[in-house]
Amino acid sequence: MTALTMPEGEAPILEVKDLATHFFTRAGVVKAVDGVSFSLNRGEIIGLVGESGSGKTVTGFSLIGLVDPPGRIVGGSVKLEGQELVGLDDAGLRKVRGARIAMVFQDPMMTLNPVLTIGQQMHLALAAHERVSKGAARVRSAEALTRVGIPDAASRLDAYPHQFSGGMRQRVAIAIALLHGTRVIIADEPTTALDVSIQAQILSEMRELAREMGTALVWISHDLSTVSTLASRILVMYAGRIVEEGPTAQVLRAPRHPYTAGLLRSLPAMAEPGTDLAQIPGTTPSLLNLPEGCPFRPRCERASELCAKNPPMTRAGERGYRCHHALEEAVSA
Amino acid sequence: MSSFLLQRILQGIVIMAVMSVIVFAGVYAIGNPMEVLIPPEATQDVRLRTIARFGLDKSLVEQYFLFISNLFQGDLGQSYIYNEPVLRLIGNRLPATLELVLTAVLGATFIGVPLGIYAGYKPESATARIIMAVSILGFSVPTFWVGLILILTFAVSLGWLPSGGRGDTVEVFGIDWSIFTLDGWSHLILPATNLALFKLAIMIRLARAGTREVMLSDAVKFARAAGLSEATILSRHVLKLISIPIVTVFGLELASTLAFAVVTETIFSWPGVGKLIIDSIKNLDRPVMVAYLILTAGLFVTINLCVDIGYAVLDPRLRRGRAE
Repeated sequence: MTALTMPEGEAPILEVKDLATHFFTRAGVVKAVDGVSFSLNRGEIIGLVGESGSGKTVTGFSLIGLVDPPGRIVGGSVKLEGQELVGLDDAGLRKVRGARIAMVFQDPMMTLNPVLTIGQQMHLALAAHERVSKGAARVRSAEALTRVGIPDAASRLDAYPHQFSGGMRQRVAIAIALLHGTRVIIADEPTTALDVSIQAQILSEMRELAREMGTALVWISHDLSTVSTLASRILVMYAGRIVEEGPTAQVLRAPRHPYTAGLLRSLPAMAEPGTDLAQIPGTTPSLLNLPEGCPFRPRCERASELCAKNPPMTRAGERGYRCHHALEEAVSA
Repeated sequence: MSSFLLQRILQGIVIMAVMSVIVFAGVYAIGNPMEVLIPPEATQDVRLRTIARFGLDKSLVEQYFLFISNLFQGDLGQSYIYNEPVLRLIGNRLPATLELVLTAVLGATFIGVPLGIYAGYKPESATARIIMAVSILGFSVPTFWVGLILILTFAVSLGWLPSGGRGDTVEVFGIDWSIFTLDGWSHLILPATNLALFKLAIMIRLARAGTREVMLSDAVKFARAAGLSEATILSRHVLKLISIPIVTVFGLELASTLAFAVVTETIFSWPGVGKLIIDSIKNLDRPVMVAYLILTAGLFVTINLCVDIGYAVLDPRLRRGRAE
């Protein structure tokens, strides 16, 4: 799709096209991801932004083929370095996961196994993809931990997760994700559960690592300000679809979709001190049996009869948006 | 770790001391054994001499301290009925119970846990449903009835296995064991199965509940995202995460079955301690009752201590007194 955003001559490392993941519940079909397309270049960082329930986490899990039942990828394509992942069998997916595409989760307190040492968990992750002796595994694990900024890494291998702080645990998780020189890392709100100073550290370290190792990042977050410091491009997700995309600076300066504009207005940094924060009226719609038309319509001040029809993706240069009444000018802060 | 151990051992000693008082007073309250031991036609003189011979003319407190001081010399008293040292009486029976109960509880654990993990891993599969049906049967069918059915089927109708007794025994470390002979095993297998059925059901349910919970955790999802195979996830991640409740119940079941395997022992005429304690209660054989109950308390204390050590081995978060 976005051929314009790609440097010439280089194929994207990850290409997602019309990805759809639906959950078949007793109450009906939940279209958590409904036609998501984007591409990611080597070493690029893109931000996938949206409120809770917008489908961004499910998108992340769909990319590595880890959607739990009753959910299932019902259509579209995910190509990693040209290899199609949708429809690949379990054994094939297992070979890809952790080796070429990895994921870091939101809560570092829950992602590591509390009853195994860090060294044991890293050894298991290494052994999942290659034959490795215990000694060699320790050396490589210690290297990986040093790389993510864990001091005295060799001796920390024998420690258990509860002996690490939250930030350190997230670093361990990142180190595990990077063990095999992974090309793409999906980071699902990895700093949300951490306090602000640690957040900033992890953010800058992730950016450094991505640059050094040529790893591309899909940074999933509900926090526009975090993403804006990190990502070169932003995808805004609403009700299972991407409603706006474009280079970070442009999207932040002049959002075209009213939803993005609303998100920006609700940022504390954008508000006059002492005044109430602007908020988007209403809540995200239930994705269960979503009616036809623009899903943002009920909350949108610009909605008209036209919005009863689902707006297509409109492209203009590097920008793209799904709206019949796109904003033309920059919103005043 | 060593301070933790020391603390638990001290606790154990206190529990044992309190238990000895309760047991002694409790057994004293049950009734006077002399009513059973001395024939009604005996003369008053014979009566008094017999009571004095057993030391029953002394006060309860005096009797208790006499018992304790003998205990520290390794003497738990003489049985009124068998006229034998209690320790030898129990020592002769305990190995039989021990091998029966260990076989049953270990068997139930090593079969039940994998079945439970499978049932928790694939809860919708037909195999999982069959496993759960078996576990419900194990819970709801009374032990004595299963024992009778086992005898009827395998001993009476089919004639494959003997219906009772211990079979051939071999002496190892000066104790007779059945588990080291083939004939012994043929005698052991029915009562052990009978005892194991209920524990099997518990182990299946525990392992299944634990597995279902752990499979949904982020830790398992993260392991999958790192490309670990399902077999590795189950054997390395899940098994260890679900083991705490399993070890707890293992300890409790082991202790309570050792103490109260009496129904199965009776049905299969297994010469264990269960039969001994029932007889001693019937005959008001005080020394046997007291010794047995105190040994049982000691057994519970020891097994619980082992379980606590097991926790610390399995879950690093429970280790205390360890410098960070």
